[in-house]
Amino acid sequence: MLVFMPDTALCFMDEDLKKNIKTLGYFSTVGMAMALSVAIGAAVGYYLDKYFETGPWLTFIFLGLGIAAAFRNLYILYKKAKNL
Amino acid sequence: MHHPIFFIDSFLKAIGFENAAAYSHVTHSWLVMLILIISAVLFVKGIQLIPTKGQNFFEVLVEGLEKFMVEITGPEGRFFFPFIGTVFLYILVSNLIGLIPGLNSPTANLNTTLSMALCTFVYTHIIGFKFHGVKYIKHFLGPVWWLAPLMLPIELIGHFARIMSLSVRLFGNIFGKEMVLSILFGLAGLYLAPLPILFLGILVSFIQALVFMLLSIMYFVGSMEHAH
Repeated sequence: MLVFMPDTALCFMDEDLKKNIKTLGYFSTVGMAMALSVAIGAAVGYYLDKYFETGPWLTFIFLGLGIAAAFRNLYILYKKAKNL
Repeated sequence: MHHPIFFIDSFLKAIGFENAAAYSHVTHSWLVMLILIISAVLFVKGIQLIPTKGQNFFEVLVEGLEKFMVEITGPEGRFFFPFIGTVFLYILVSNLIGLIPGLNSPTANLNTTLSMALCTFVYTHIIGFKFHGVKYIKHFLGPVWWLAPLMLPIELIGHFARIMSLSVRLFGNIFGKEMVLSILFGLAGLYLAPLPILFLGILVSFIQALVFMLLSIMYFVGSMEHAH
């Protein structure tokens, strides 16, 4: 996979390599999308808690929503990857 | 560690802009724009039926990109090719420009990448409203109506994670490459030690430009298709 690619290589690559690179680029995003969803959920909950002074409850609720969003992202990625 | 010397910053400082070093990424992104505009104007001056050398190069590049995009979107997505092509070329040139000693990558700053990610984000929803009208809201409400209060925050978090992941990925890769390069220059001597990282830098520059383009295409396609 580790080949030297000048900037116009996109146009000259054979189909197999092109598909591999597309898949590689696409799936390299999975981890980050998952981690960031959880982090954004937790952060939103934390700051809402600070604003409304409602103890730890909103943090937990939004953390749960963030985790749900992470898995939903995974599901969407899986569905898209089938017809990549 | 030595402070790196950038040509543009020192030049601007010499002609009287004291603060130039603080806006290094802005001036370098102007440089990238200049490079792109000037090369486009020079090479494609007077488009001919039998292409000259420069026109040939640009034709192959743009045609390859368009084929790559239309394979994923189908022909109804052809109208947003200008945005996709601009994003790819701009990111590619800004990534590669950092490999030249004395120049800085504009994409090694979170502000640049965030601005591009925000453009993609806004354009995604513009395309969504253009294709579906008000019914685009259904994309955020999930499959059945009684799940809507649960699905709305989940979808919103997912959409904001898109901005974050687009911008932070590009920024992190390019900034990390610059960091490793500067540390290697500082520690391991000036000559051949950073060479392997420079090769990796070419690879990373290309892959990250490709990934940004691919994800933008994917998001646009997602807002074009019907709600699940």
